[in-house]
Amino acid sequence: MTQAAAPKVGETLPAGRFDLTAARDDLVRRMSDAPARSDQRAHPIFAFVGALGGLPLPIADLSTGLGLAFADGPVLARCQIDATRPLEVGRCYTVTARILDIQRKPSRRFGQADHLHLAITLSDGAPFTETRLHIIFPATETP
Amino acid sequence: MTRFPDTAHGPISADDMALWCDLLADDNQIHLSRDAAAAAGFGPNRVNPGPANLAYLISAMMAADPDGDVSRIDAQFLGNVVEGDTVIARDEGDHAALYRAGDDLPVVKVRR
Repeated sequence: MTQAAAPKVGETLPAGRFDLTAARDDLVRRMSDAPARSDQRAHPIFAFVGALGGLPLPIADLSTGLGLAFADGPVLARCQIDATRPLEVGRCYTVTARILDIQRKPSRRFGQADHLHLAITLSDGAPFTETRLHIIFPATETP
Repeated sequence: MTRFPDTAHGPISADDMALWCDLLADDNQIHLSRDAAAAAGFGPNRVNPGPANLAYLISAMMAADPDGDVSRIDAQFLGNVVEGDTVIARDEGDHAALYRAGDDLPVVKVRR
């Protein structure tokens, strides 16, 4: 059996998929008190949900592979979403993630922290959304 | 962008947190286990996933403009929401913000 290589900064991960079903959109709308869907457009949060949910490996495994302390309770710092077109239910999107950067910085909360920056696109040949995430991890001994 | 009134959501349920985690393929235990949340310094209650907090804010905007499209979101995550909290989405002019009920500092801010 071949073992997958650990991901690296600057790398684009193998593509994943996210199936944006009407049932998933209904669930998110119920859980966030959103208006009912009136056409094919999905809730805009699916740019983020599909970005993480469609990675080729769970965010925990990706983080651990990068040497980051996922088990110690990372926190989300920022997300920037740019939508070329609204995401739609009934489509299966290709999810492409790039590891932009990891930096270790002093942290009031953790002492030292590792800052992970990811850019994740959802597309179906043409781009739909790009989501940039900044996640902060308590620092371990070796970054 | 259309202004929206203060919009309450909650109480935040642990069952919904688990559903969000399933959608996100995120098994960060601070969202799923009170012991894990406490061990990580977040207190005795499970911590709501950040994307859920952002979704509450976007949903309040959508309620005021159901046919509008969202082309850009720039969100800062400044605090945590935990199980049992009620949150308030508030339009503050050049940004929208989500607060835990009774708190003065937002947990999420979205630039408009």
